[in-house]
Amino acid sequence: MKKQCLHCLLEVQNADDDFCCLGCKTAYKIINNLGFSSYYDLRQIDEKERKIRPKEDEEVDISEFVKIENNKKSITLMVQGLHCAACVWLIESILKKQKSVNLARVNLSQKTLTIIWEGEVAYGNHLAHLISQIGYKLLPFDVEILQKAEKKYDDKILRAMAVAGFGAGNIMLLSISLWFSDSLDMGPITHNLLQFFSCLIAIPVLLFSSRPFFSSAYRAIKAGYPNMDLPISLAIVLASAVSILQMLKNANHIYFDSVVMLIFFLLIGRYLDLKARKKAFEIASEFTLLSASFGRILLDEKIVTLPIKKIEKDMILLVAAGEKIAADGVVIEGESEVDNSMINGESLPQKLVKNSAVFAGTINITMPLKIRVSKAQDESLMAKILEFVQIALSKKNSYVRLADNLSKFYTPAIHILALLTFIFWFADGFEIALMNATAVLIITCPCALALAVPIVQTITISRFIKRGILIKSGEALEKISKIDIIIFDKTGSLTLGKPQLKAIKFLDGRELSAEQKNYYLQIAASLSARSRHIISRAISNSYMGNILLLDAKEERGFGLSAWFEGKELRLGKKDFCLIKNNFSAEILENNLLNCFLKIGDEELILLFEDKLKEDAFAVISALKKQNKKIILLSGDLENTTARIASNLKIDEFYFEKTPLEKAEFLQNLKVQNKKFIMVGDGINDAPSLALADVSISFSSASDIAQNIADIVICNEKLQPILQLKKDSQKSLQLMKQNLIIALIYNIVALPFAFLGHVTPLFAALAMSSSSLLVLFNSLRMSKSK
Amino acid sequence: MSVLIFLIPITLAIGLLALAAFLWTLKNKQYDDLEGASQRILFDDIDEKKNDERKKQK
Repeated sequence: MKKQCLHCLLEVQNADDDFCCLGCKTAYKIINNLGFSSYYDLRQIDEKERKIRPKEDEEVDISEFVKIENNKKSITLMVQGLHCAACVWLIESILKKQKSVNLARVNLSQKTLTIIWEGEVAYGNHLAHLISQIGYKLLPFDVEILQKAEKKYDDKILRAMAVAGFGAGNIMLLSISLWFSDSLDMGPITHNLLQFFSCLIAIPVLLFSSRPFFSSAYRAIKAGYPNMDLPISLAIVLASAVSILQMLKNANHIYFDSVVMLIFFLLIGRYLDLKARKKAFEIASEFTLLSASFGRILLDEKIVTLPIKKIEKDMILLVAAGEKIAADGVVIEGESEVDNSMINGESLPQKLVKNSAVFAGTINITMPLKIRVSKAQDESLMAKILEFVQIALSKKNSYVRLADNLSKFYTPAIHILALLTFIFWFADGFEIALMNATAVLIITCPCALALAVPIVQTITISRFIKRGILIKSGEALEKISKIDIIIFDKTGSLTLGKPQLKAIKFLDGRELSAEQKNYYLQIAASLSARSRHIISRAISNSYMGNILLLDAKEERGFGLSAWFEGKELRLGKKDFCLIKNNFSAEILENNLLNCFLKIGDEELILLFEDKLKEDAFAVISALKKQNKKIILLSGDLENTTARIASNLKIDEFYFEKTPLEKAEFLQNLKVQNKKFIMVGDGINDAPSLALADVSISFSSASDIAQNIADIVICNEKLQPILQLKKDSQKSLQLMKQNLIIALIYNIVALPFAFLGHVTPLFAALAMSSSSLLVLFNSLRMSKSK
Repeated sequence: MSVLIFLIPITLAIGLLALAAFLWTLKNKQYDDLEGASQRILFDDIDEKKNDERKKQK
């Protein structure tokens, strides 16, 4: 058994170490220095859960999102990496110990952190950085927009449910007497009294709790189509009216208990349904986080800092090394490298020369640049992507759900039957006719029907969450089993998305012994320890031993150098390392990602590759066996894409597609009425994810992709996709079974209602037993493998 | 049977109190973070702990 890191519990490669990486070591130190070492005793870590390792170098500027009230500053942040109460305690305790912090509170259910402090706005950055150093990823968001709409509706339903529950319970207390005897046994006054109290409770409860149904039915009528809430509303009104009449006459049949119970169950179903449908976060605020907030403009020989909204076409923008580019434009001076992951999903830097195009939101890595702005902020590529995504998402809501399809014929059928009953009994008197028609409406009421689908969805979704798969909408479950086309992005979806060290070789062809390998890797890792370059990170991640303390100097975009034991060490580009050897191209093994290492006179090359996910091949083969069509859509170059496609035996693949081109391709499919699943992870996949019928992303993906996607997979495997198909089929089956059970009940009970045999007791029994049956059937979902 | 005239309204009144209490907790946002609330009762306050230790030493 390998030793576990004291902080994050991942494996420690070198037996002498206590930690797996510098980040964990730092976090442990901070936690101990502040006196919170009991955190390690208290916490509970789920073994199967993906662990977030602390990133030592990420700095987020959250000052834009700070709210100022009187003298106090407050901010609410989303927190990733919370796994149990100990995290809550740790974060809150650390923050409370800092100066001028008035409030630090973590909401474990919503995974947010709220901090209120006095003093500078920028102090918030310091506080946030402290927490991210310990290993929690923090992201700001606009609380108001996100929470308001959702919460209000949630609360309404919960309130109506509480009142209905209160009413149902109390009325049933009174009803039991009324069911089992009549006015002869208990005396007419008592009888009437009980009825009166039932009515007293029922009327206010009904007025309050049935509002969601009435407003929904009203909207449906206005739109011209019937939905399930129409017969429900009718039943409520009629049943109440009839029952009131009966009470006034001290007759035998009041239905208050059935009606209130009906509403109670329906509201439960609606609440479950709501919970199963977590709405996506405000996408726009995420995009805002991506872009730079300010840009430095050269105006009349002076440098002025302008907010991006004020940057206009043809302005000259200055971008320093390491800064985010504030607007779309063309390079007019300077040579550098840029991180274009937004456009093509590749995080490997790309060269920029004069006249190269640049895009807002990308990061300029190496040298300062002068850029002529070509588009104003609202026309930038980023803005276009955002617009596209929002439009695509709004169109998505037109999917007609299973239950709604049913209601299309069910609702008119019930109404006709009720009418027929009324006419049939009319000869016996208006009241009897009305009562029997009402009985028909109540008996056929879709109580169990309303519970049938949400229950299965809730159970299925919670099963998936335990396995690390987040399903954000019940509809995605319904759709998945019917779709035959699956489209994959390459980097980050089929591959791990980060380069990994593949090999280290001598340039002159000699073989390396294991010891030598370790030695050279150690040197390389020591040099790369503090560099943020993606290759440096790959090297650091591949070496777990002790690193040497070197005074490494980084020349951004070229390499790292240091002196060690009298020799000069150089790691980086070929020219920077002063490589003298003429080596054959074969040594590269067709790898684009590489760097050189020179120690004294020894010259070596390190090769990197973006590995495929472990189970990629297995999953793709399995999907092909199920006759699914697989397409690979990538923004990367032809030969890398082609290589991955042939490794995975994917026949149809496209390369060098920009985000909007990807979306165009998908739109073509849509026009042909084809349905598809999209699996992607980058910002460049955002439009495609928004368009797809079902979209899947990963928790390692950009936050935007995660928010747009219907399903988020929280580990580095593709196997969940297969599991999703299987389980969604099973859950669809169960949903249909539930609907059938509910329908059978209604149909069997119908003749009784028609012939006037439905007493209040009968109605109550029928309703509760059908709901229970549906519930038990749904529990079969949690029992299956 | 006249007992019923007293008992039923009293029962209802108590029930209504309970309902009002529930609606108040809803308004007071106590249902926003159910997981956190359940864990929070187990937290040790650091300062309290230190005070207790100091008291023990004395």
